[in-house]
Amino acid sequence: MNIFYSMVPIAFAYSAPLVIAALGGLFSERSGIVNIALEGIMMVGGFTAASVTVVLEPLTPAAGYWGLLAGLCAGVVFSALHAFTSINLKANQVISGTALNILAGGLTVYLAQIFFHQQRTAAFTRGLVKVTVPGLASIPLVGPLFFVNASPPFYIAIALVLVAWFVVFKTPFGLRLRACGEHPQAAASMGIDVLAMRYIGVLVSGAFAGLAGSALVLTQDIQYTAGSIHGSGFIAMACLIFGKWNPFGVLGAGIFFGLAQALSLYAKDIPFLVGIPSEFFYLLPYALTIIALLVFAGKSVGPKAAGEIYDAGKR
Amino acid sequence: MKTRLTPRRTVQGMRPAFWVMAAILVLIFAGCAARGQEQAGARAGETQEAAARSGPPKIGLVFDVGGRGDGAFNDSAYAGLVEAARELGGRIVGEPGAPDYGSRFEARCLSSKLEGRDRAQLLSVLAEDGCRLVYAVGFLFADSVARVAREHPNTHFVLIDGSIPDLSSASNVTAVSFAEHEGSFLAGALAGYAASGNPRAKVGFIGGMDTPLIRRFQSGFAAGAAYAALAFREPGRILVQYVGKDGSAFADPKTAKAIAELMYSTGAEVVYHAAGGSGAGLFEAAREAGKLAIGVDSDQALAYFAKAGDPHARETGSRIVSSMLKRVDRAVFLTAKEFVERGAVEGGYRVYSLADGGVALARNEHNERSLAPYVARLDELSAKIVRGEIKVPETPEAAAAFIAGLK
Amino acid sequence: MSKRNTTRLLVPLVAILLGFALGALVLIVTGRNPGAMFLAMFQGATGVNLKAGSFNPRYIGEFIIQSMPIMLSGLSVAFAFRTGLFNIGAEGQLIAGSVAATAVALWVEAPPVIHVLLVLLAAAVVGGLWGAIPGFLKARFNIHEVVITIMMNYLALFLNNWMVLYVFGSKDRIKTALFPATALLKDDALSALTNGSRLNWGFVPVLLSVLLFWFVIEKTTFGYSLRAVGFNKDGARYAGMRVERNMVLSMAIAGGFAGLAGAVLTTGTFNYGRFLPGAEGYGMDGIAVALVGGNGAFGVFFSALLFGMLKAAQPLMQSQGVPKEIASIIQASIVLFIAMSLGIETLISKLRKQKIEALGEEAGV
Repeated sequence: MNIFYSMVPIAFAYSAPLVIAALGGLFSERSGIVNIALEGIMMVGGFTAASVTVVLEPLTPAAGYWGLLAGLCAGVVFSALHAFTSINLKANQVISGTALNILAGGLTVYLAQIFFHQQRTAAFTRGLVKVTVPGLASIPLVGPLFFVNASPPFYIAIALVLVAWFVVFKTPFGLRLRACGEHPQAAASMGIDVLAMRYIGVLVSGAFAGLAGSALVLTQDIQYTAGSIHGSGFIAMACLIFGKWNPFGVLGAGIFFGLAQALSLYAKDIPFLVGIPSEFFYLLPYALTIIALLVFAGKSVGPKAAGEIYDAGKR
Repeated sequence: MKTRLTPRRTVQGMRPAFWVMAAILVLIFAGCAARGQEQAGARAGETQEAAARSGPPKIGLVFDVGGRGDGAFNDSAYAGLVEAARELGGRIVGEPGAPDYGSRFEARCLSSKLEGRDRAQLLSVLAEDGCRLVYAVGFLFADSVARVAREHPNTHFVLIDGSIPDLSSASNVTAVSFAEHEGSFLAGALAGYAASGNPRAKVGFIGGMDTPLIRRFQSGFAAGAAYAALAFREPGRILVQYVGKDGSAFADPKTAKAIAELMYSTGAEVVYHAAGGSGAGLFEAAREAGKLAIGVDSDQALAYFAKAGDPHARETGSRIVSSMLKRVDRAVFLTAKEFVERGAVEGGYRVYSLADGGVALARNEHNERSLAPYVARLDELSAKIVRGEIKVPETPEAAAAFIAGLK
Repeated sequence: MSKRNTTRLLVPLVAILLGFALGALVLIVTGRNPGAMFLAMFQGATGVNLKAGSFNPRYIGEFIIQSMPIMLSGLSVAFAFRTGLFNIGAEGQLIAGSVAATAVALWVEAPPVIHVLLVLLAAAVVGGLWGAIPGFLKARFNIHEVVITIMMNYLALFLNNWMVLYVFGSKDRIKTALFPATALLKDDALSALTNGSRLNWGFVPVLLSVLLFWFVIEKTTFGYSLRAVGFNKDGARYAGMRVERNMVLSMAIAGGFAGLAGAVLTTGTFNYGRFLPGAEGYGMDGIAVALVGGNGAFGVFFSALLFGMLKAAQPLMQSQGVPKEIASIIQASIVLFIAMSLGIETLISKLRKQKIEALGEEAGV
């Protein structure tokens, strides 16, 4: 039980960046733009957040939160590149995303060498400190799982899930956004500015992915290194698919994948998991996503026009 | 995806756009190149002849995965180089603002890629660049050093913390190692003394990559803890976990932190690590849990206390009760000194141990008070090890036997 | 036709130029010396150190070594592109190939030349199977190959690590036992020829692959039907081509090229199977190589040399105080500019099309 109580908050902490980034991917794909650059945007966000936190830590106790904000902004700026190439220049979205991923890996470490004279940022001393919510923490059973030593980004993730669900499914804006991802020509004929909606979709995904990268680095790492993000952006894509492009599905998938990551550490203390190589837990999210895709096949759960170049001339 | 990857191409329409773009770029490009060449030329003019023939002797150093900033092993090696520059009047080149105390030698540092598959490459580049002494920091370099040393007989290589078979004093390789098990024994004893107030306490060890080298730390630590306090001779009281299975395990504070959190939450009072840059994760966890940690390689508390004005850094620093010093800096400094003063370094093997201060427990103004109750006992243990009265085990099997023998 | 060829050359050339200019700009802005980078690249490709006036053939050997795997992964990506598929999974297919190569090298005993051939064959076949899976899923269930191949890259990575640690066995947890000499592409003579570089016979299968790619795509009816699927799936189906079969075959062949790269790495550059801490980026490099090479055999050949040169120059850049990550920045910029130029072209052709309605030109190849 001891293990359970220390493992679940860690699993939640692991899942927060995945969920946030996947929600970003949701906005982008719902608007019709595939964003495989989540990984790269997370790197840029994480790097920016770590750098800002290092600089501000001696000045303010809220440095970590400024770091989050900075990472979010950096994500928006970086994703604008993707928006510009894939919306204005109508470039292939996967190529553009790939270029951003390569660029992020190089740029962040390059800048670390310029700013910090080493291949990583300097170490921040606390980042985002875990919180224990007074009062709620003493609720039996639930308290220790959700409110003791909880990672702040997990609460942010939950809030964003609710916001995303409301915005995408309950507002006129959401309806328009989804229309652009399902049938852009029809949307345009109803007077929706498809390009603007897609821009919003990509920039929101940049903001979320930047935030996710920041959250990951500030809670799980002590500095940004080339290996900090390590495929999390792709696991976020997996979350999006596994969660059927739905915010609550994404949350569930994210927690599940977070648990898989946490299990790889704790397996040796859980009797029936002893002896399972950690590689098994690492590959779980990817294998399950392939299976999920097979199960969903033909049921058209994703946005229909995602990845398709919108061309105003085509009716 | 219905995106067309190879869209229709029409030449006439785009020609002007492309030529304009191309022209502008060629200009920028040419400008940069010219400027660059000029700078390079100017620099080459003043140093080339000198460097190649009568200039300062060159020293090269290749960091292991993680590079500078790990707060441990790599930083310690760099500190040795800086100390050598200061003491002997040399300089470090390669980036703006690097230490420059004169021209008795010129040192440059490279770091290997995350996967580390370019280790041999980097060593060769330095040797071919005219470095007469090249440091390879970390045991993962062993194979690369062996090969590159054969190809560059005029360059001397110092392998820090690793071993290559069949070296002699005439070899162009010096393999430096440390008696980590001895230092870890003291770390274990310290952990044992510090935790013995609580009869149900545990102590923990976090290793980086699971290798024979890191197991020596583990073995020494376990033996030390068991030697210090009866309680730790029972099974299950010394927790051991490794961060990973490859070089990146030394640069993964994320995982180390999760492991440490688990150890503290299951009753560990003191946790010792031998996980390079990952150790920072342990210290974070120690601060959050309010428990103690022991650092490794360099005096790791100092980096935290150096961040003046940051109360959390001080708090973290105060959780690091001591560090098992592995004086990589000393080894680098001494070999660099030998090289600069005598023009050559003797090949073969060198082991730095408790006896010559190559390994030790860190003492500083900050941990003076918390160490005070144990210092006398630790010194006594140290003396016993130096005299050979305690033979510290180097493998987990030997440690188990050692602990069994204590009963 | 000749005009189209000019553009085909011009687009990547401008993108390359832009990429290097941007790289130089980044260096200048951050106070580093771009001249040192260009000198390092020159030395990386030719072995000539202009600054010291020395020549070292080892660099040429390393330059070739760096180009070989990305040439194959470039062919892999390009081959799938020609059928209209995006193979982002060359990385995983390469890893699958190297696992197969390791298995055959360690477990099969065979006479010298035959053993190497078996290793290469196994790697190509397993890489091909690994590639055929997303091809099949795409053809049969219309599941997006990009997503599947990304997931399969990580699957391959962790399966490789599991195989190395628990099936092949590894004493030091970094690598398997060394391969027997019969399984190796490594050759001391080649190494000695280039002053101790890691040059090996891997260039033979690599060059044969380039020729094979060219022959299949340009000279066979099968290649024509693949291209037809790439232009227009429905049209090809209407013309009686077996679109689904072609997709699977195309991904299988693409996987085969990448798998071969795995064998060239494991038995040429190295002589053991390796534990991989993370993706090594050969797949991403392959995308860049294919795009810059215009998805043609010889284009891929030259662009792989270009990126191989960038990689080979990295250690030299570092020793000149230029952070090696500038190479990734340049590479990414080139890819981005190519993506943009494709977009610009489409834009322009659209404008033209509105003016001239009928322009029955063949979709660009």
